[in-house]
Amino acid sequence: MAATGEMTARARPVAAPVMGGEASARSAFMLRMACAVVLLGMWEILSRSGLFYGEVVPSLFKIVLAIGALLVDPVFWTNLRVTFLEVAASLAIGTLLGVMTGIVLGSNRFLMRAFEPYIYYLSPTPRIILFPIMIMWFGVGPSSKIALGALSAFFAVALSTAAGMRQIDQILIRVGRSFRATKWQMAMKIYLPAMKIPVLNGIRLGMGTAIITVLLAETKLSNQGLGYLIMQIYTRFDMPSLYGLLILVFAIAGASNAMIGRAIRE
Amino acid sequence: MTSLSSDSLSARTASASLAASAPAMVIDDVVKRFGRGTEVVTAVDHVSFNVAQGEFVSVIGPSGCGKSTLFNIIGGLLGDYEGNVLIGDERISAPHPEVGMVFQEESTFPWRNVIDNVAFPLELQGVAKSERMDRAHHFIDMVGLANFEKNYPSQLSGGMKQRVSIARTLVSQPKILLMDEPFAALDEQTRLLLGDKITQIQQQLNQTTLLITHNLTEAVQLSDRIVVMTYRPGKVKRIVDIKLARPRTSDVVGSDAFGHYVAEIWNDLREEASRGMADSESAASRRGAHG
Repeated sequence: MAATGEMTARARPVAAPVMGGEASARSAFMLRMACAVVLLGMWEILSRSGLFYGEVVPSLFKIVLAIGALLVDPVFWTNLRVTFLEVAASLAIGTLLGVMTGIVLGSNRFLMRAFEPYIYYLSPTPRIILFPIMIMWFGVGPSSKIALGALSAFFAVALSTAAGMRQIDQILIRVGRSFRATKWQMAMKIYLPAMKIPVLNGIRLGMGTAIITVLLAETKLSNQGLGYLIMQIYTRFDMPSLYGLLILVFAIAGASNAMIGRAIRE
Repeated sequence: MTSLSSDSLSARTASASLAASAPAMVIDDVVKRFGRGTEVVTAVDHVSFNVAQGEFVSVIGPSGCGKSTLFNIIGGLLGDYEGNVLIGDERISAPHPEVGMVFQEESTFPWRNVIDNVAFPLELQGVAKSERMDRAHHFIDMVGLANFEKNYPSQLSGGMKQRVSIARTLVSQPKILLMDEPFAALDEQTRLLLGDKITQIQQQLNQTTLLITHNLTEAVQLSDRIVVMTYRPGKVKRIVDIKLARPRTSDVVGSDAFGHYVAEIWNDLREEASRGMADSESAASRRGAHG
């Protein structure tokens, strides 16, 4: 814990309000840890109380053991690999189509007016209802999950790119015009760098929804992937492994989100 | 139409050449209307004046006198207007390589450091990197930011950012430097000091400059001539020669002659500014009554 405290101190630039910032960061960290300890304690008490039937609330020790067992089990890794590839492929396809659509819609008022309602009203509908159609089109294997994941990522990236395109500081475009930049130069030297942040933010949101959609689809109908594994373990009623796997999935999703977040800040 | 304007130009240059060399820029009977039907607003109304080679001219007027419209027309960002803005015998209808614009708004690229910001126009022209850096360095030095070349705009003050913008425009070596209230967002002291910097640069480069401003002190401090505009529609009310000695510094602000010019121009300007104020107040009360 001392090490973590040191790390937060180092990560904080000098510009931050020195005394208050440092102190409040430390107490926020303490509160977070205290909260986790209390929750884990309550879990353990609940587990030992015998209030719940069988293994519904397994002890922390058993969960930790189950996590260990999962990490050395090749089944976990092959399924993780499948899900990872599905999410990566969805994100790649969704980002490509999303950025292209976003640029077209963001730069053309008329097209935006024509198509905006589709995007806005379709984007919050749960993609999973399209899953039966995707299965009919692409089969039970990874392709149907990729298609569904790509669809989720697409909306997030397209909306964020279109918004970024329209929110570019107009003065920078006037500067480019005043120096007689060509269309290509405008795109490469003004639009592209100015759009970097909103596009990356869209990709981050898109990745979040792609992970959700892919996992959800895997739990519904599939023969591989982490979602499939979760349902397999569930049918065996192996609660420690189920909790262990869920914790691993949370950790992986959180880590990939943090990685994109870091990329944006740099 | 082109032939007509070049005819009128040759007549003008012929008569002008008797007095001095050809003007760097001719603004001839420029009119700009916005809207259509009954909603037409005349922003710029038959405005004419010349800018001589090496001269510093300011256009001053209250908000709503069409200054910014004029700035956009001369800069070529507003191609659709009546009359002529001429550089040589070329009518401006798009950004012209001989006109360098400096904007009122903060306009540095946040993702480029100072030297890359300043080198931007050279990059567009395809100038080789080493020459680009040399030339950018020269103008960064001129605006007094030599120690900040690697800094990003977010690390600079407002005045420093405007100096980056000015250096970025100067690096393309425009014949005419066109500035739209570049110091509007700055405090008075910074404004006076930057005024000194501008005067110094202008003398060093013999830079023909056209400054759009609503700041009277700034206009008198910097200009050889001041074009006073009327409140809507924007017409030329008067052109005042400022015969303060050069080289000039901000010290001139304390002199009697300076005060005399300020008072004289304020006389004209007050009338226009109060018309503008009355207009916006009545608009506000109308909005209030409706709201």
